[in-house]
Amino acid sequence: MYVIVVYDVDQKRCGKMLKLCRGYLHHIQNSVFEGEITEAKLEELKIKSRKIMREEDNDSLIVFKSRNEKWLEKEIVGTDKRPVDNVL
Amino acid sequence: MKQNYYIFNNGCLRRQENTIFFEKEDGTRNVIPIENTEAVYAFGEIDFNTKLFNYLAQKGIPVHVFNYYGFYSGSYYPRETLNSGQLLVKQVNHYTNMRHRLALARAFVNGASFNIVKNLRYYNNRGKDLGEYINAIEGYRSRIEESGAVEELMGIEGNIRNTYYKAWPTIIDCEIEFERRVKQPPDNMINALISYLNSLVYTTCLGEIYHTQLNPLISFLHEPGERRYSLSLDLAEIFKPIFSDRIIFTLLNRQQITNKDFMTEVNLCYLNESGRKTVVREYDERLKTVITHKKLERQVSYRHLVRLECYKLVKHLIGEQEYEGFKIWW
Repeated sequence: MYVIVVYDVDQKRCGKMLKLCRGYLHHIQNSVFEGEITEAKLEELKIKSRKIMREEDNDSLIVFKSRNEKWLEKEIVGTDKRPVDNVL
Repeated sequence: MKQNYYIFNNGCLRRQENTIFFEKEDGTRNVIPIENTEAVYAFGEIDFNTKLFNYLAQKGIPVHVFNYYGFYSGSYYPRETLNSGQLLVKQVNHYTNMRHRLALARAFVNGASFNIVKNLRYYNNRGKDLGEYINAIEGYRSRIEESGAVEELMGIEGNIRNTYYKAWPTIIDCEIEFERRVKQPPDNMINALISYLNSLVYTTCLGEIYHTQLNPLISFLHEPGERRYSLSLDLAEIFKPIFSDRIIFTLLNRQQITNKDFMTEVNLCYLNESGRKTVVREYDERLKTVITHKKLERQVSYRHLVRLECYKLVKHLIGEQEYEGFKIWW
């Protein structure tokens, strides 16, 4: 499964969310991540993020799911700051 | 599906914030999502530290190291977590019992040569005259069942490979110098490509064996020597025609790889960095390709086929189902 994950949390917790998501997906923009992930790993990520987020501050995390990367059309306007690649 | 990461740049790989960071010499950083990493391939000059290895061991991620010329030099193989004494005993028994060992060795050669013939047939149907080679190989194949010793089997396997390589100039459209397989060091473009891709196939097999209870040291077709994980050589034998040889044909016929992708100062014996990157990208694509498995009736990737092969081997060793080398069906 190919996903895009975005979060909007209080700035006190931004760093924590960033660190968490970086372990699972590629960081493409501030608070936006994308990448291939398994069902189970995504569930793990969601559980861990729930522990970080606070309801009283209306923190949220949104997951856009796509069956495969090829069903996702990606267009970059401006510079591609962090290209997703596994050949470094 | 987990990803392989291939690092060509020089720099430092380290653990940070519960994931791994690769820091290039110029200071730019890449974050590698650890939860989604299958293995790391290190081609550049990279610094590691034990803190990183501890973390990789925890996550069960091997690191395969390649030298300056792109040759496989070794792997960091995390502590085995899937140990099975019972299976180890069975594996050793199958090695020491000549009859059992021969049965397995035959299955490997059988599968490998079947896939070789399949490759030739594919190009034969596309207007390249390869009939004589196919017949010759089929001739050798009929002798597999009669062979009485592993050495004899290795001989047959060698003959098959030689005939196979003779067919290569017909398959490959561009002008190539390729007469025979030469290793250590390879003497021309094709040999360099074969060496390079085969080493990638070995590491893929080793990585998959790691995820099963099998012991990579005890092999059946190859002599289990010291210093190397010979079971991955056995398995690679079956997958080389499918993974590595086909990639070589495509890359050359599409002219994705040409003279300029080799190091000229050493007579085109080694791939240079851009060449290696092209090959690695193609190889990675190939591993991710999915096909519908006939028996399982679901989609599996090429890489997963190697794992399934390991499971088949386990089943054979514990006496549940007889092992038969993988035969390509598409």
